Amino acid sequence: MALTHDVSPRLDDLVVTARRINQAIESVIEGKGDAVRLTLTVLLAEGHLLIEDVPGVGKTMLAKALARSIDCPVRRIQFTPDLLPSDITGVSAYNQQTREFEFKPGPVFASIVVGDEINRASPKTQSALLECMEERQVTVDGTTYLLDGPFMVIATQNPVEMEGTYPLPEAQRDRFTARIAMGYPAPSAELEMLDVHGAASPLDKLEPVATTAEVRALIGAVRAVYVSQPIKRYAVDLVTATRHSPELRLGASPRATLHLVRAARAHAALAGRDYVIPDDLQELCVPVLAHRLLPSAEAQGQRRSPEHVMADLVRRVPVPEARPR
Amino acid sequence: MRLSLASGVATGAVAISLYPLFQGGAWFWTSLGAILVTTGIGVLASRFAVPLWLVPPAQLTAVWIFMTAVFTGEEAWAAIVPTRESVTELGLLLAAGFDDIPRLAAPVPPNSGIMALTCGGVGLIAILVDLLAARTHRAALAGLPLLALFTVPAAVITEPIGWPAFIIAALGYLGLLVADGRERVGHWGRTVLVRRTSSYVGQRSSDPGTLRLSGKRIGLTAVVLAILLPAVLPTLETNPLFGYGAGAGKGRGGNSISIPNPIVSLRGRLTLPGNSTVMTYTTDDGSPRYLRIYTLDVFDGRQWTMTGPNGRPEDKTSAGPLPPPPGQGTDVPVTPVTTKISVSDGVGNLKFLPLPYPPGRIDVAGDWRTDRDTLMVFSTGDTAEGLTYTVVSDEPRPTTETLGRAGPVPPRITERYLRLPKSLPRKVTDLALRVTDRNATPHERAIQLQDFFTRKGGFTYTLTTQGHDDQALTDFLIRNRAGYCEQFAAAMAVMARVVGIPARVAIGYTGGGRLGDGWQVRTHDAHAWPELYFEGTGWLRFEPTPAGGAGQGSATVPPYSRPRTAKAEDEERAGERTTDAGDTGRPDRPAVNRRDRMPDREYGDGPITAEEGLSLPVRAGVGVAIALLAALAPAALRLRTRARRYRICSRAARPAGAAAGADGPGEATAAVWAELDDVLHDHGVSRPPSESPRALAARLGERYGFDAEAAAAAARIAMAAERMLFARTPGDLGSPRPDLRRVRRALAAASPRGVRIRAALLPPSTFRRARALGARVLDGFDRLEGLLPGGSARRGA
Repeated sequence: MALTHDVSPRLDDLVVTARRINQAIESVIEGKGDAVRLTLTVLLAEGHLLIEDVPGVGKTMLAKALARSIDCPVRRIQFTPDLLPSDITGVSAYNQQTREFEFKPGPVFASIVVGDEINRASPKTQSALLECMEERQVTVDGTTYLLDGPFMVIATQNPVEMEGTYPLPEAQRDRFTARIAMGYPAPSAELEMLDVHGAASPLDKLEPVATTAEVRALIGAVRAVYVSQPIKRYAVDLVTATRHSPELRLGASPRATLHLVRAARAHAALAGRDYVIPDDLQELCVPVLAHRLLPSAEAQGQRRSPEHVMADLVRRVPVPEARPR
Repeated sequence: MRLSLASGVATGAVAISLYPLFQGGAWFWTSLGAILVTTGIGVLASRFAVPLWLVPPAQLTAVWIFMTAVFTGEEAWAAIVPTRESVTELGLLLAAGFDDIPRLAAPVPPNSGIMALTCGGVGLIAILVDLLAARTHRAALAGLPLLALFTVPAAVITEPIGWPAFIIAALGYLGLLVADGRERVGHWGRTVLVRRTSSYVGQRSSDPGTLRLSGKRIGLTAVVLAILLPAVLPTLETNPLFGYGAGAGKGRGGNSISIPNPIVSLRGRLTLPGNSTVMTYTTDDGSPRYLRIYTLDVFDGRQWTMTGPNGRPEDKTSAGPLPPPPGQGTDVPVTPVTTKISVSDGVGNLKFLPLPYPPGRIDVAGDWRTDRDTLMVFSTGDTAEGLTYTVVSDEPRPTTETLGRAGPVPPRITERYLRLPKSLPRKVTDLALRVTDRNATPHERAIQLQDFFTRKGGFTYTLTTQGHDDQALTDFLIRNRAGYCEQFAAAMAVMARVVGIPARVAIGYTGGGRLGDGWQVRTHDAHAWPELYFEGTGWLRFEPTPAGGAGQGSATVPPYSRPRTAKAEDEERAGERTTDAGDTGRPDRPAVNRRDRMPDREYGDGPITAEEGLSLPVRAGVGVAIALLAALAPAALRLRTRARRYRICSRAARPAGAAAGADGPGEATAAVWAELDDVLHDHGVSRPPSESPRALAARLGERYGFDAEAAAAAARIAMAAERMLFARTPGDLGSPRPDLRRVRRALAAASPRGVRIRAALLPPSTFRRARALGARVLDGFDRLEGLLPGGSARRGA
């Protein structure tokens, strides 16, 4: 499609680089183009991603593949009930040689942090991670350490096995830019996976295709994507609709509006456009907003999930339109 | 309780529309009193839950007491309690009212009989409305008695009802409906969304305020439509239902010192608000006579005027009998009639004596002289004010034979009374010749002319016609055929001259109404009539003006001017013989049955249709053409809009001038996008509100089976729109016209034939614009609603 008008050189680079990363990840995860694309969108929108699905569908694999394909520090934290905040942020240990306290950075000091089964950790530990996510800094013993960009947390959550877990409260889910579900692969993709993954993990063969600096430049390009006034109003209309819907007990926050527009910028940039269109917002509304919404008792009774409600609202809120003349 | 109040307000509002029937406003206050009494009882009954069957009798009693107090207070006990005398008195008053109603033409004087009747009638209507609306909760049915009240003026007077009166009446009824609706749906119901709101609004709980607003919007729209639509529709009638602005009189002054302009003063007297007595008279045979004051002999193409009378000293009334009536031969039987006339004091400076024609001998004080040719009696020094005088007139009693035998008219008469201006329109001449029989005698032709005015021509009587300009005569005769005695008399005199009968216009009074043994003439009896000359008989009056309630109230038709059958002829001869034998005058028959002289289109051998030269097929053709044009208007509007948008495009496509600036391409894209939107709407492609341009283009391509070219065209337009709306700089528009055409063709190919035809002939997008306009008007109403001081308070209640 003739989508690329007036695309600046940086945007062209972005499209090429993003396509490289995309291909790299898809060589590991078969038939999950949407999830991969959304992951990239969140990365470029400087957000964090929550992957929620049953075990074994490739949540961790996706996170790892992204981490691998970018040449940047990657850390993985397996959350367990006995994990302590300092296990994430790092500790100050006494160095007997220098006779001084020395800060040992935790796993959060990386560009991509994969938090596996985040709902298994105690709320205290969860909140330690969430503070880092929001503030992009770590404070230990009164000293604040800044986290270098790019910084992205990819947390996974298992909705089935809920025993002994601490589900993320709404306030903390709000910090994630988007939530995705992996879903089972199509039978053909699963068949291909058996062939490819039979001998060795394809992750091992994955080579980085982009550098941290490149990703940083991409993020810069995304920031320059134009959001017109009608689009901003449309975003506000969408979010406002969630607050007034009788099917929702809790609507989306102003932070959600911010995340939505940021993600829409990244989405537009990935499509090679230097401006946001309503289609970007419409596509992102469910992954970016739905996990922040709480259904009302009525909607629960009718087994309407927030995703359904959100999709309905998107269909009802009118897009900005030129007045006929 | 609220319903009772609303009923009273509605009745009062409708009662206002009775105003053209009365002189002065006193009737309204007494009627209002009756309404207030009824409403008061209704409110109390609602408040204390009085049984339903008890309320109307209570209200009737209350209205009775009210009327007793107002009309027969002195007969009642303590001014309000009805006594035997007061009941009798009230009955007499009502009977007098009933007697007056057929006798008097609107506007009627506010005498107590009519006031009592009106007050009672309005009170009855108020009771009925209260019964239907407040007692049995059938507010819509209460419209029927209200409608009955409203149609009274429409039925009685021929003039249109003023639209403000209609608005007031309609609003009164609307108020009643609103009050009823409030009571009915106040506790239940869902919001009726009148139109799509601009931003998403969640479901609201039921709110009677919104409901009420919808009702008011519908009601107001209906009222506005009811007023505007008849004005907009092309009509062949000259009198629409509502008059837009009264025909303000602009009578010409120009009175000379001694000769008033009789025409102007005639109209002035007919439209005078008060109907005062001008004179009273008695005749020795007890019958009324027309009393002539002036004779107008010159027609200048605009109006009839009078040659100055010539009063020689030897023609003083005190010097003996008056000169003989011109043209009256000795072989015509005459009846001497003695009339004693008393002119009232308040008539002003009247220099001419009102007299029955032809006066023979006058016994009057003062210096009064006679004009030999016209037998007008006037004075240069004295006035007729307060004067009492006796006149003996020798009335000719011509028969059809004597009139048929009438010899040639002497040149002295023809010179003066057949003269017509050269500018007389051909149409008038043609009409006169058409309605008369070329081979008939002058007398027969005169009867045919009168018959044309009274029966065949379909004329109506109205005082609103104003006519002294060049067109007045043609307007009256050809176009609207509505006027009052002045037009009737003038037109008949002109037409008589056209067909060769010497004619002039007389101004004076009709015989008036009976008063004791004599007759009473009032200002509203002022009249004009034509006089036609027949050699041997002299001047005879004719009566083309309709009589009765829908015409000049007391006009009568002379017997010799009636078209007659053989039988009537015989009777007439017999009557003539007895008359001759008994030597008693055969009086003009007073208008006993007034309706028989009203213009009646179903009566007689068919009306002569308008002489415009437009035959029925032509008229039908014009109507069809207008309807076709109206039907094509939406399509034409659509093409105009499209052409305008293309113009915007081509302006933007021109080498960018400084004027076009950055706005040029954006504007052009907006125009193209709007055009695409209209094209889609015309072809019945609905657009969900959440569909973006890009999604629309994709859907068009998929759903309507566009070929690659058309799909690309749609995508190009959508992209341009997208960039215009959301990008920093609008992109290149390309060639919008071929793109649009491609999309239109592809859509047409995918649509059924019916849709294609509708898109071409009745494009729905045009109606959408009209609807948008309507929505804006409704918004205006909403704002008005907000401005009304009581609006928010009532909502809070």
